[in-house]
Amino acid sequence: MDYTNKLHIIYGDAALGVQTKKFQYIFSYEKGGLESLKINNKEWLYRIPTPTFWRATTDNDRGNGFSVKAAQWLGADMFSQCSKIHLTVDDQKFDPLPIAPFNNQFSNHEYANLVKISFDYKTTTTPATICTITYVIDSSGRATIKMRYIGKEGLPSLPVLGMRFIMPTMATGFEYYGLSSETYPDRKAGAKKGVFRVKGLPVTKYLVPQENGMHMDTDKLIITRNTSLNNADRDTNDFQLEINKTDKPLNFSCLPYTAEELENATHIEELPLARRTVLVIAGKVRGVGGIDSWGTDVEEKYRIDSSKNFEFSFKLS
Amino acid sequence: MKANIRWLDDPETFRINQIAAHSDHLYFKNYEEWEQKRSSFIQSLDGKWQFKFSNNLQTRPLDFYKTNFDASDFDFIPVPSEIELNNYAQNQYINTLYPWEGKIFRRPAYSLGQKTDRSFSEGEDNTVGSYIKHFDLDNSFQGKHVHVFFEGVERAMFVWLNGHFIGYGEDSFTPSEFDLTPYLKEKNNILAVQVFKHSTASFLEDQDMFRFSGIFRSVKLLAFPETHLMDLALKPTITNDYHDGIFNAKLSFTGTKDGYVRLKIKDINGQTLLDEEHNLTSTITIENKLLENIHLWDNHHPYLYQLFIEVQDSNKNLIELDSYKFGFREIKITDDKVVLLNGKRLIINGVNRHEWNMNSGRTITKQDMKADIQTFKRNNINAVRTCHYPNQIPWYYLCDQNGIYVMAENNLESHGTWQKMGEVEPSYNVPESLAEWRNVVIDRARSNYETLKNHTSILFWSLGNESYAGENLIAMNQFYKSHDDTRLTHYEGVVHTPDLKNKISDLESYMYLPPKEAEKYLKNNPSKPFLECEYMHDMGNSDGGMKSYIKLIDEYPQYLGGFIWDFIDQALLTYDPISGKKVLRYGGDFDDRHSDYEFSGDGLMFADRTEKPAMQEVKYYYGLHK
Repeated sequence: MDYTNKLHIIYGDAALGVQTKKFQYIFSYEKGGLESLKINNKEWLYRIPTPTFWRATTDNDRGNGFSVKAAQWLGADMFSQCSKIHLTVDDQKFDPLPIAPFNNQFSNHEYANLVKISFDYKTTTTPATICTITYVIDSSGRATIKMRYIGKEGLPSLPVLGMRFIMPTMATGFEYYGLSSETYPDRKAGAKKGVFRVKGLPVTKYLVPQENGMHMDTDKLIITRNTSLNNADRDTNDFQLEINKTDKPLNFSCLPYTAEELENATHIEELPLARRTVLVIAGKVRGVGGIDSWGTDVEEKYRIDSSKNFEFSFKLS
Repeated sequence: MKANIRWLDDPETFRINQIAAHSDHLYFKNYEEWEQKRSSFIQSLDGKWQFKFSNNLQTRPLDFYKTNFDASDFDFIPVPSEIELNNYAQNQYINTLYPWEGKIFRRPAYSLGQKTDRSFSEGEDNTVGSYIKHFDLDNSFQGKHVHVFFEGVERAMFVWLNGHFIGYGEDSFTPSEFDLTPYLKEKNNILAVQVFKHSTASFLEDQDMFRFSGIFRSVKLLAFPETHLMDLALKPTITNDYHDGIFNAKLSFTGTKDGYVRLKIKDINGQTLLDEEHNLTSTITIENKLLENIHLWDNHHPYLYQLFIEVQDSNKNLIELDSYKFGFREIKITDDKVVLLNGKRLIINGVNRHEWNMNSGRTITKQDMKADIQTFKRNNINAVRTCHYPNQIPWYYLCDQNGIYVMAENNLESHGTWQKMGEVEPSYNVPESLAEWRNVVIDRARSNYETLKNHTSILFWSLGNESYAGENLIAMNQFYKSHDDTRLTHYEGVVHTPDLKNKISDLESYMYLPPKEAEKYLKNNPSKPFLECEYMHDMGNSDGGMKSYIKLIDEYPQYLGGFIWDFIDQALLTYDPISGKKVLRYGGDFDDRHSDYEFSGDGLMFADRTEKPAMQEVKYYYGLHK
């Protein structure tokens, strides 16, 4: 590693590497996203982060038919793919992407102050729309991540609008500065603001597994792990990922399961063995409702309007 | 008299030889026993009973009550417990439809112009539990009048003692009491009870719950000294701008009427406020005793006065000591249709509560009850609706002591007779206006009233749940009105027959009415105070949007509040051989069909009595109008 406070850029043939002493990013052109996020040599990603549109339907979602109306977002959550990548390094915009032979001009000593890379994900909905995830990495190596959703008429209301990170191993716990217990936009008045430490990745034990564990209005989140999948890594010390709000507080859930895994189980004991960490940072969260469980929708202001543009951002450090 | 299995088919036969319902006052031999809370007049019969399960009524043992019956092939079952949870019969959870849906065609007797049939006395789904209990009388019971007291048996039972038929009872959730004296021996009495899962009462007990059967509440023997206070009817009222109390009481005695009665009222410091002596007669009436500067009873200050009634023989020896703790409180509706408690607006921050334990079903313990009261107190829950049946008696005592406002609901729900797949279709509704179904529902109202009438915590009598309405619901409402002018009546089901609203229910009660709809009623010159008797359906991850209801409290004085549906998930802890763990199971998990599956779990509490995350929201909103 060179002694510099600039970003070290590796113009690969299928990926862009961005490194500082502490952070190492690999953005994969093939996978269409951030394939690797290493902090102090520990890997934080199992698969590329993607937009997420589905939450495991609640009893109320099923009872009022939202699950039927919103069903195409389940497909979009699982199968939407990257359709376009935009890369800017400092002031230079690369279009097409700087792969061979174009990148033959570069060396292993390329440096920059700012990398901005965006991935457009085209939803598998009808009509389709675009969700863009942009990573902006400044010379400190810290990334600001922004997701922008393009509103589209004719799509059903959204179950959730956020980003999903799947981490290689299960966290030992997390700590956040935000609201106590599990909260939703229509169920957070009783929560206290403070610092909360959660051991492990508890799944709220609703009789039928469903959306759970959301934490609204969070300023800061620190996830702690002590295991990796790296066979040569014998270190068992804790290591952490810190996520901070930017202009607005963020909402998150941190569970060992994806929405689809939760959706499939009829009982909590049917969930697979917990082995990963699934972090959802949600820009918009649908309320849980409760007027009844057989027809009445969540109150209108707590639904997510899919026809409107929306963006949110947060910072990794 | 001989037992007749056809009683199961006849809605007009619901109690044979049962003692009339009476107050639930505690009675002791003396003050020492009272202090130790142990009455030598009570002998528990809880414990192991001999038991034979029959898959249907055709295969039940017929002679098992006879003294020479060989019961060597009987098993043992704990009493109290649910037969199903001892794995004799299949668990089934079903909501509105009857449990025989898709299996047996039934219509209620006398509906659709029919007479009775043999649908229950020959019904193949009518499982039977035959119970035998051998007992010796406690020494203190020798030579006394003795009753047997079943606090709850689902759903129809026949009782024999030492080979003699004693009586028959229905109404699963109120006590059934019989006189055993004529056939009682000092030693080796044989009490035999046959419990049938179904009878015409099944049409009246279609509550949204796991459908169980058996002797699921305690059984005890009651011994009476030569004179016994059989019934106590207290009527404490308030006067002089809520400063003073007026005490009225009616005491009814059985046995020898030769002696004295001394009545004392003490405050919590042991100060005597009233002390008077009467000659013993069958009935003693205490009228309009003024008690000055009383403490009122409410949620924040559940102040109770101690009443003692000393029953003395002609030599003034104490032969029975009766005890009750009561409070002074007043509930009324103003001309503006606002409900006041002790002159102040009453806000119901309530929950509906089924009796539930994940291991033992509706056989719950005092410990469960105490835990639930603690949960109420911790989370600003101030009221409970005993959905949809009278609860175990100790629950009402706990509510008195802890200032929990009770809506005491009858054991009545005939949901499947008038609503099918969500649509109102009352073609064979019972009890509606059918004469043959009148006495049975009045009896349920009477048992609820007579047993529980002295509990200060009860502010509302609820006629039942989701049973449509007709002349019989009107008659139930009238029953309460004619017996009790210190409480309000409640019934929601009259929303389907608006013409009857002026004859049923002091409250305009809805369930799950969205806030905007509730507001429409409140805005348009409401004719009654408005209540959500069920709201905020807490199935799974729910309880969002509570604010829209709570703000109605600030905007409309006629909005009384509501009871959240409901307190605790109904799920059963079951061993899962796949995971090797004990896990919670719900409807449909026992091959039970038809089922309503996870709809059994709508609680603010998980079935293991831990709080759902939604509880912090309830605590907050219920804390706004404490």
